[in-house]
Amino acid sequence: MEKTSRKKKKTVTRRAFLQGLGGGAAGAALATRIRGQAAGSGQAEAPLPAAYTRKTINFTVNGKQVSAEVEPRETLLEVLRDQLKLAGTKRTCDRGECGGCTVLVDGQAMYSCLFPAVRANGRQVVTVEGLAEGEALHPVQQAFIEKDAYQCGYCMPGFIMASVALLNQNPNPSLGQIKAGLSGNLCRCGNYVKIYEAVAAASQKMRKS
Amino acid sequence: MKNFQWTEPQTIEQALAMLTKVNGKAVLMAGGTDLFTEIKEGVVEPDLVIDLRSIPGLASIQKDDKGVRIGALATVASIASDALIKQDLSGLSEAAGSLATPQLRNIGTLGGNLCQRPRCWYYRDAQMVCRKKGGSQCFAAKGRNKYHAIFGGGICHIVYPSDLAPMLIALDAQIAISSPRGERSLPLGEFYALPAKNVRRENVLAGDEIVREVRIPPAKKGTRSAYVKLKERETWDFALVSAAVRGIGSGGGLDDVAIVLGGVAPIPWRLGKTEAALKGKKISEALLKEALSADLQEARPLEENAYKLDLVRAAVGRALGNLTRA
Amino acid sequence: MKKTAYLETARGAKPQGKETPAAAPAEFKIIGQPTPRVDGKLVVTGRAVYTHDVYFKDMLFAKILRSPHASAEVTAVDLTAAQGLSGVMAAVKLKEGRVKYEGEQVAAVAAVSERIAEDALKLIKVEYRTLPFVVTPEKAMAEGAPRVHDSANLEKINEYSRGSVDQGFAEAEVTFERTYRTAIEIHQPVETHASVAKWDGDELTVWDSTQAIFNVRDGLAEALGIPETKVRVIKMYMGGGFGSKLDVNEHTIVAAGLARQTGRPVKITLTRKENSLCVGNRPSTQITIKGGAKKDGTLTALSLKNITCGGTDRGDEASEPLIDIYKCPNVKVEEFTVFTNTGAGRATRAPGHVQGTFALEGFMEELATELGLDPLEFRRKNYTTSNQGGTGIVYSSKGLDKCYDIGAQRIDWTRRNKKPGEGQGKRRRGLGMASQIWWGGGVPGTLADIKLHRDGSVEAISGTQDLGCGTRTFMAIITAETLGLEPKDITIKIGDTVYPWAPISGGSLTAPSVGPAIRDAALKAADYLREMAAKKLSVPAADIVLAGGKLFAKSKPDTSIAFKDLVKGMRREAVFHGERGPMPAGFAYNTFGAHFAEVEVDTETGRISVIKVVAVHEVGRILNRLTAESQVVGGITQGISTALFEERVIDENTGKMVNPNLQNYKIATSMDMPEIVPIFVDLVDPRINNLGNKGLGEPPRIPPSAAVANAVYNAVGVHLREIPMTPDKVLRALQSKEAGS
Repeated sequence: MEKTSRKKKKTVTRRAFLQGLGGGAAGAALATRIRGQAAGSGQAEAPLPAAYTRKTINFTVNGKQVSAEVEPRETLLEVLRDQLKLAGTKRTCDRGECGGCTVLVDGQAMYSCLFPAVRANGRQVVTVEGLAEGEALHPVQQAFIEKDAYQCGYCMPGFIMASVALLNQNPNPSLGQIKAGLSGNLCRCGNYVKIYEAVAAASQKMRKS
Repeated sequence: MKNFQWTEPQTIEQALAMLTKVNGKAVLMAGGTDLFTEIKEGVVEPDLVIDLRSIPGLASIQKDDKGVRIGALATVASIASDALIKQDLSGLSEAAGSLATPQLRNIGTLGGNLCQRPRCWYYRDAQMVCRKKGGSQCFAAKGRNKYHAIFGGGICHIVYPSDLAPMLIALDAQIAISSPRGERSLPLGEFYALPAKNVRRENVLAGDEIVREVRIPPAKKGTRSAYVKLKERETWDFALVSAAVRGIGSGGGLDDVAIVLGGVAPIPWRLGKTEAALKGKKISEALLKEALSADLQEARPLEENAYKLDLVRAAVGRALGNLTRA
Repeated sequence: MKKTAYLETARGAKPQGKETPAAAPAEFKIIGQPTPRVDGKLVVTGRAVYTHDVYFKDMLFAKILRSPHASAEVTAVDLTAAQGLSGVMAAVKLKEGRVKYEGEQVAAVAAVSERIAEDALKLIKVEYRTLPFVVTPEKAMAEGAPRVHDSANLEKINEYSRGSVDQGFAEAEVTFERTYRTAIEIHQPVETHASVAKWDGDELTVWDSTQAIFNVRDGLAEALGIPETKVRVIKMYMGGGFGSKLDVNEHTIVAAGLARQTGRPVKITLTRKENSLCVGNRPSTQITIKGGAKKDGTLTALSLKNITCGGTDRGDEASEPLIDIYKCPNVKVEEFTVFTNTGAGRATRAPGHVQGTFALEGFMEELATELGLDPLEFRRKNYTTSNQGGTGIVYSSKGLDKCYDIGAQRIDWTRRNKKPGEGQGKRRRGLGMASQIWWGGGVPGTLADIKLHRDGSVEAISGTQDLGCGTRTFMAIITAETLGLEPKDITIKIGDTVYPWAPISGGSLTAPSVGPAIRDAALKAADYLREMAAKKLSVPAADIVLAGGKLFAKSKPDTSIAFKDLVKGMRREAVFHGERGPMPAGFAYNTFGAHFAEVEVDTETGRISVIKVVAVHEVGRILNRLTAESQVVGGITQGISTALFEERVIDENTGKMVNPNLQNYKIATSMDMPEIVPIFVDLVDPRINNLGNKGLGEPPRIPPSAAVANAVYNAVGVHLREIPMTPDKVLRALQSKEAGS
């Protein structure tokens, strides 16, 4: 877990500034450039950052480089499902109140429904579709089948991603730690105790290999 | 929801400049877990969202001789897991860990948590134009108010939902604020303001100010802290009542006690009279009941929330108990 | 769907005829074992297609504008601005006149994107003349209350009596009366309601997140005025229903209409707020039970009065458990519904029984204490092997006594406080239990097909639904068992109205309906294969066994032929039609269970923690132990959730729901779970169908709230009598106990 300042992944170049200005076809950029001192000098007349209503973002999903044109009001969830046609991640409450849309962003579990797509730029996103290697399932996926962790299955992508994040961080969690690690995911069919068993089994398998 | 413009300032100065440019319809987004839900519900309809996460250097947790400094963009998860904070400011670690869910803690920030808007279900419904949104009534006053305030109400009965705020106040934290006029800092306890002062806001942040960091001064030797959060469900829920306490154990009693409540008032609620009554005394159940009575007498429960008085007693008792435990 | 029709389906068709179905073998190899779901890979890789995931290139997105008022007259709907928005393909008015609850549909649009559809809704101008409303049963029953419909707000919906309660109470040595309350519960399936409608000429195909494809098909045909033969409904995967998806929804009809109008596929998905407001709920109840008993615990009289509230529709009848479970010659029941200007009630996992059991089992617990008897012994004292409280017909199979024995032993019933609340300390523990009854026979006439292909592949086909109960898997299990194959060899085809008819997946109907139908078809297929093999192997057909992918003679195991080789010789693919036969008349077909709960109550914070639940169920033969355990686990989770957290909260001043979301409509989380021990009494019903199995969907949902409430009573000595038992209620109850009231 990161403890200190998050390193900014990419520095903003002049080119990016200008890209922001241009925006997409539908964009109307509010870009007021006040020429003054060089940027970063901290003085009041530094150029203002561009503001845009559309942006092309570049990021990786499940190891693949992708590009998408997004509006600021779009969420990562919408981009995944509607633009990239990765329907595995589900929209379940759209308010960060149920965990069904959980994905990994730079290794951390997040609600994609509350993650502005524009922030995905430069990030590594992993969804449930990205866990298996060909036909070989991730140990968490395998355990979820063997222990009957799901019923209707709709909350499963979220739980699977949260479980992967948990086990990546804590490879040998106690029952209490499993419960806490999954405390941001709701299962309405009510299969929690089965999910714990599956996560425990997966952690055992992952530690052996 | 309406579309909005998005901008990624690289410095606080740039962010401040954008804030003033768009005449009151620009908002600052840190983690976004609170703001984005407000936007989705139509409670807030900004023209411009200023992305604070694009500013480097605001997310650090550092210790120097002036104390611990936590940047406004530090995630709640990073605060909860920080070894230093766990050791020296255990109550803060508890407060951060008790908040929301793992996924929300991964994105949510200190600044966002301290500046969040209330969770009153009337406030969060765009169709209910209450006083806080410029209307002329408080729907909670004679409505469904089991989660609402027992102190400090009057024209508006929200409770301040933050877990970090009461704990940081109990730790004597200062909040550092940047504006075009420079830097200022004030005790976090003075950052929050009752509805009577300005029902439209929960804090004294001006329209052209940004929270930069929080500073916790070095504590006296032997200081301990604890946070107890009482909820309905064991996760996700905001506090029904929470108690943030700080004190120094000495010969069975507690010195330098600070007790700040969450979930009971529009601002984090300090129990000054209780603190005074406990000073230096050995804490017993009977003493605590007596000590709390003066503060609790000021409570003005609504139709459905008198139970919070019992929860205050329980939360404070347990939090103080945690302080004196080995 | 009318609630009464649902209950009739759940009860199953009236048993008829004398036919005894094929006796089920005592030993199965696969049936009864734990078998992982055959479609697991699809689900865990995110490739399973739910209705929300259905996508067509030229698809439009529909959204519905809903009344923000609890009661109003729609006086004008102006669609012009909405229609003028670029990307909007259609806009329709849905309502003229009265709207009777917040969330009732008023208008709809179809647009090229969901965003544009949402923007278009904001442009629709509706004029409402708001009217007086009532949103609580109390206000609705008060003198001069505004009427929800044209008739009175209070309506009698059920009455029943046997014997004479007056006489029964006169005979009683102890008489006791208590009132219990349950709140409105919202289904909140994780997949909100969704449909996609697509026309091909005059034929309509609808993908729907539904538990009832045939109901949806027939409902659409009726609503659109077209023949049922022109409608096809498909359900691939669905994310939960719990009763909220048992018939055609209004929004599905809207989508179909918009698709017809625009000539393009139309998808409609509901938001979480819409799911909270307007697709149904479990009606609330206020149940007063009066009971009379002898000092030795023999019941002499039971009466029940229920006032239930289902919003604009009728509430739930909740008296069945009281009428049925315990031996009692004198019973009287009166049930009333109260209308309010709130979303209509709808079948919710074990409608009426959950509420009725909460009341009945709480009452039995309290009456036992009054009598100075152990609550479990009190229930055993009034045990009966015939229904209607011992006055009716004999149960075909009833293992409730074994449920009591096993459950009591597993939780260690001796640990309970002999006197409720006799423990010490701030955190008090207690044990409580509750009995459960439900129907379980399924629906005779259910059809299913098995197809054998010449390349060795096998299909098991049924127009049933799998909402997570493991239907696909038990179909594979039964087919594989009967044909000597493995479950993975069977291709499962379900969820399409072109397939053979099956009932709704609700009412715990699926396993006892579809299972026997598949078994029937599989037995026919097995006979056919035996005949073919007999010729090939020159042994009598009766001598042939299907196992391990082969057919061989029992007397000469070395003489065998592989299944794959045998079917190569077929002239064409072979289809076998199965039907679930009738149940013999003269018997009652029910399922039984007992839950034993241990709780800890924090008397300072009012917080209840459930420590352990031992759940013992008797549902005849278990088809798949693995998925059956999940059913039990799920039912208990939901029961705990409603016992402790769930409640629809309405603001009386505005008539609006204040918690139409998952933050404040609180569902149990992973941190709220106890240890759960699911146990099955293996008691195969000898006559119910060719498998001896009964339905399991609802039984585990029925007793947990009651068991938890009874455990709380045992822990602190006060019975809360109302769910959800939130901290504020617990603290109030403890205080009034202390005050001696």
